[in-house]
Amino acid sequence: MKKGKKTAFVLLALVLALTAVLAGCSGSSSGGGSGSGESSGNAAANAGKEGGEASGLKPVELVMVFAGPGEPRDFKEIEAAINKVTQAKINATVKLQMIGWAAWQQQTTLMLAGNEQVDLILSGLGTYSQTVARGQYLAMDDMLEMEGAGVKQALDDLDPAFLNAVKIGGNVYAVPSIRDLAANYGVTMRRDLVDKYNIDLDAIKTYDDLDAVFQTIKDNEPDMIPLVKYGNTIFDTHLNYYRDSLDDGFGTLPGLDNDLKVVNYFETPEYMDLLRIARRWYENGYVAKDIATSTETQYNLVKSGKAFAWLSHMKPGYQAQESKIVGMEMVSKELLPPTTATGNITSIMWSIARNSKDPQRAMMLLNLMYTDPELINLFDWGIEGKHYAKTDDPNVIDYPQGVDPANSGYNLNMGWMFGNQFLSYTWKGDSPTLWEELAEFNRVSKKSKALGFTYDSEPVKTEVAAVRNVFDQYYKALETGTVDPEVEHPKFIKAMKAAGIDKIIAEKQKQLDAWAAQQ
Amino acid sequence: MQTNRLYQFGIIFIMLAFTLFCVFPFVLLFSASLTNDLEIVRSGYKLIPNEFSLEAYRYMWNNSTDIMRSYGITILVTVTGTAAGMAITAMVAYPMSRKEMPFRNALAFYVFFTMLFNGGLVPTYLLYTNYFDFKNTLLALILPGLLANGFYVILMRTFFAASIPKEVIESGYIDGAKEWKIFCAIVLPLSLPVLATVGLFYTIMYWNDWFNGLIYVTEKQYFSIQNLLNRILLDLQFLQNNTQQMGKGAELVAKLPLDSMRMAMAVIGIVPLIAAYPFFQKYFVKGLTIGAVKG
Amino acid sequence: MEASTKAYAERRAEAAADRAASWKQLLRRVRKYRTLLLMTLPAVLYFFINNYLPMFGVVIAFKNINFADGILGSEWIGFKNFEYLFKTSDAYIITRNTLLYNIVFIILNTVLAIALAIMLNDIKNRIVSRTFQSLILLPYLISMVIVGYLVLAMLDVEKGYMNNSILPLFGIGDISWYSETKHWPFILTIVNVWKGVGYLCIIYLAAIIGIDQEYYEAATIDGASKWQQIRSITIPLITPVVSIMTLLAIGRIFYSDFGLFYQVPLNTGVLMPVTNTIDTYVYRALITMGDLGMSSAAGLYQAAVGFVLVLVSNYIVNKKNSDNALF
Repeated sequence: MKKGKKTAFVLLALVLALTAVLAGCSGSSSGGGSGSGESSGNAAANAGKEGGEASGLKPVELVMVFAGPGEPRDFKEIEAAINKVTQAKINATVKLQMIGWAAWQQQTTLMLAGNEQVDLILSGLGTYSQTVARGQYLAMDDMLEMEGAGVKQALDDLDPAFLNAVKIGGNVYAVPSIRDLAANYGVTMRRDLVDKYNIDLDAIKTYDDLDAVFQTIKDNEPDMIPLVKYGNTIFDTHLNYYRDSLDDGFGTLPGLDNDLKVVNYFETPEYMDLLRIARRWYENGYVAKDIATSTETQYNLVKSGKAFAWLSHMKPGYQAQESKIVGMEMVSKELLPPTTATGNITSIMWSIARNSKDPQRAMMLLNLMYTDPELINLFDWGIEGKHYAKTDDPNVIDYPQGVDPANSGYNLNMGWMFGNQFLSYTWKGDSPTLWEELAEFNRVSKKSKALGFTYDSEPVKTEVAAVRNVFDQYYKALETGTVDPEVEHPKFIKAMKAAGIDKIIAEKQKQLDAWAAQQ
Repeated sequence: MQTNRLYQFGIIFIMLAFTLFCVFPFVLLFSASLTNDLEIVRSGYKLIPNEFSLEAYRYMWNNSTDIMRSYGITILVTVTGTAAGMAITAMVAYPMSRKEMPFRNALAFYVFFTMLFNGGLVPTYLLYTNYFDFKNTLLALILPGLLANGFYVILMRTFFAASIPKEVIESGYIDGAKEWKIFCAIVLPLSLPVLATVGLFYTIMYWNDWFNGLIYVTEKQYFSIQNLLNRILLDLQFLQNNTQQMGKGAELVAKLPLDSMRMAMAVIGIVPLIAAYPFFQKYFVKGLTIGAVKG
Repeated sequence: MEASTKAYAERRAEAAADRAASWKQLLRRVRKYRTLLLMTLPAVLYFFINNYLPMFGVVIAFKNINFADGILGSEWIGFKNFEYLFKTSDAYIITRNTLLYNIVFIILNTVLAIALAIMLNDIKNRIVSRTFQSLILLPYLISMVIVGYLVLAMLDVEKGYMNNSILPLFGIGDISWYSETKHWPFILTIVNVWKGVGYLCIIYLAAIIGIDQEYYEAATIDGASKWQQIRSITIPLITPVVSIMTLLAIGRIFYSDFGLFYQVPLNTGVLMPVTNTIDTYVYRALITMGDLGMSSAAGLYQAAVGFVLVLVSNYIVNKKNSDNALF
């Protein structure tokens, strides 16, 4: 009996794998990719359905846990529609559990601590290695060969480096969603003012070139702050270009290489230069006096007419995305080319929990999320005709008549989370070839030399605790220019040393060397 | 007489000053909830809105199904929790206040110990979810950590000990009353101020609790009003602080409700409590009839 | 010699008899007060389940948790999880801040709450008194995150009330509140008073209301002044409550209100020398690591210190007047 079931599993897995490969291949062929992806996806669906019924997969309920901003109004309807798909294809129903961002870490740690059923769970969000160290995820290497072949195929099509980058101790505990796995860095400004003052975008190549721009705004728009922070500071995400943070930023690889020699980035002259720029902008009045404490988002500040620009990480389609959010035409200019470090990949991933009642079936569900456009579009955009409608171009969608962002019952807009975003439709206003552009972007980005290295802070956790407190004390004020770096920066470095940064670096170097030796 | 008038005038003046000090920020809060959002960004919170707007309340009206349901949950949890909590607190506090009760000090220690030491979140969570299966139930909002609390027990015990004269209880014994009768018919009526106090504290605690909701509840239909508000506030903070690690933070922030809506939610979260306060005040009755009982 | 052994034996026999007698007496008392004992049962049971059962979790503080092995099966690592609380240059600062703030809060809140309670009780006009009562409780009702916004509304460098409206009245120039540490001990104390005094005041008010009016009537006849009445009637009669409240506060002296020290200063790094406490230190330390052992260790450390302090102070109070002691 048992043996029979196992054989059935294998058979089904093979069928699924085959169809997945088909879907994957057609997906990566150029032009109208998602269209042909869809048709073969349907073929896959039919095959899966037959396979599922033929091999008599027992019905099972899977619990899928992920983070989000709160359930949209039509969440239950989406869940029902998703269930229809999964029931037909893998004879499983899916219970979706959305957890708030802030509660995420605590809640999931708790859920995974007991025997609560969690099958598929979003992982990463900065806590991948810790969760693996706590033994809360299953290794999925074998399943990726069998039930999850479509996942593996889709990721390898992108670049085999990506799946390699998530290994811990040689095992894969999570698969990254297919999205922007790299980031470039630049400045985003209000288009109307750029035009009004004839600001030459091509002339902006470095931070120093921005001074003139900001000065123009400051002179002509006295009520406006030329630059606002993004995240916590002026440069926040830009730092990811300058160094591979190697998980926590304490002990890094400058230039994402540095011959794998770990150094304290905060001590480098390059960091000091950034601080001087921040200080200069602060003193020239390009940023607000209360920048360090402000709780307003850049969107609200720009929307209210109070601010002009921000510096952030970007990706293809960023300009359109931000314009949509702000509700004003924005223009983005790249200053630094795309890079990929382990953190870019491990930030959004999917894992199978130790508590899973049926890991194989969870993997099949994951497989669908990487191969089945019908399912992916349900997650990403909702129900056709209700939450989106096709336009003349079958791969481009828009709001149905009478629906707008404010009254839509499902506008999560988190396609980058649910598996393979590249199989989803593109929204009207975005580039129709957005996914191809993103794939290319991921491919050409400069990869960190330590790509795939994950670090375990356990041996130095006492020091990390202390250094984290020192960091919190200084970095915001320094990176917003609120304090004089010539005075405060030396104190920062001294305090870090006192807190044990050197010990952390030594430990990280040791782990990195060991990792490099295995490659 | 003259000094008495002066004294009355003086204390009213001081209290008025202190009350204004307490209330002032609420005027800001209320006014912010009535201000156009972009105006808040531009010029901060003002006592009188520069640009009056009902947008925040309209938004809540549009989402009134969620909000009304949360209100319902909050009220249900608060009423049940307060009633049950008061009952078991009074029942343990009263015996502890009786000097001749055996194990009285051991019990006090047993209760007090819970105020300091706890097993931490993980074991508590495992207990309530694995053994009691409370996840996503109303019980999870009432029982864990809230139902009885060492602080209230000790507070009530102290009041019972201080304000119920021994003679009263003894006279009850002489009349042949049973312990239950003495407790219900003599002790409780004599302790209205403390019952009102602890009842008020219970009400506030249950009303304002969002932590249990955050930990034990993932389904929207069990969100209480404070849980709803705190999720938004904490999410906002989290996303802003973790932009670098997540590479996604900022764009997600844009999906959260704006300033004025957060303020409006805070407002609708406290209004019912203020409305309930006079109910408790009714029992703040002076001196009562201890003298009468004694006499 | 012989006499003393004999006396000793006698004493021992007496003691044994006493013990037997006291056992018997205890049994009798248990029987006599069985209803009272039964009444305590629901609470005893609840505390057992809610508080005592999970306490096996303290082992987490001494372990490196791996859920694949289970909580009990994880590796023991001794006191390693506690090290980060002491082996840091901040250890002195966070302990000092936590202790000093708490001492100031305990004293100030107690004095103010009692003063307010006495005044509220003395106000003749019922409606006025009740209005004040409701309004001073208001601040207790809102979450600290919102309080953080309100404080920002007051203190923002450019948009804040202090800099725009209040300081100019006194001819003082703008102050950048969030970058100068010297203001924050006062700001935090004020916010703490603002938020907490109303609550404490209600407790003392209930205590004062419970005082038998006869005492005051007698005192008035004797011609005692208001101040004398307060000193010799009100204060002594609410001492048990004050004493218990203080003892309880001492038990939590190593804890700090996370919201007050983290949300209200808006997590501003520059202010950390005066705003970092044990709780905020632990929070910052673990925000990315999420180490269960370390957070559990911090809680255990705070509880243990509080516990020792309460035992000592309770012992002292008990010596003086057992009515005022916790147990």
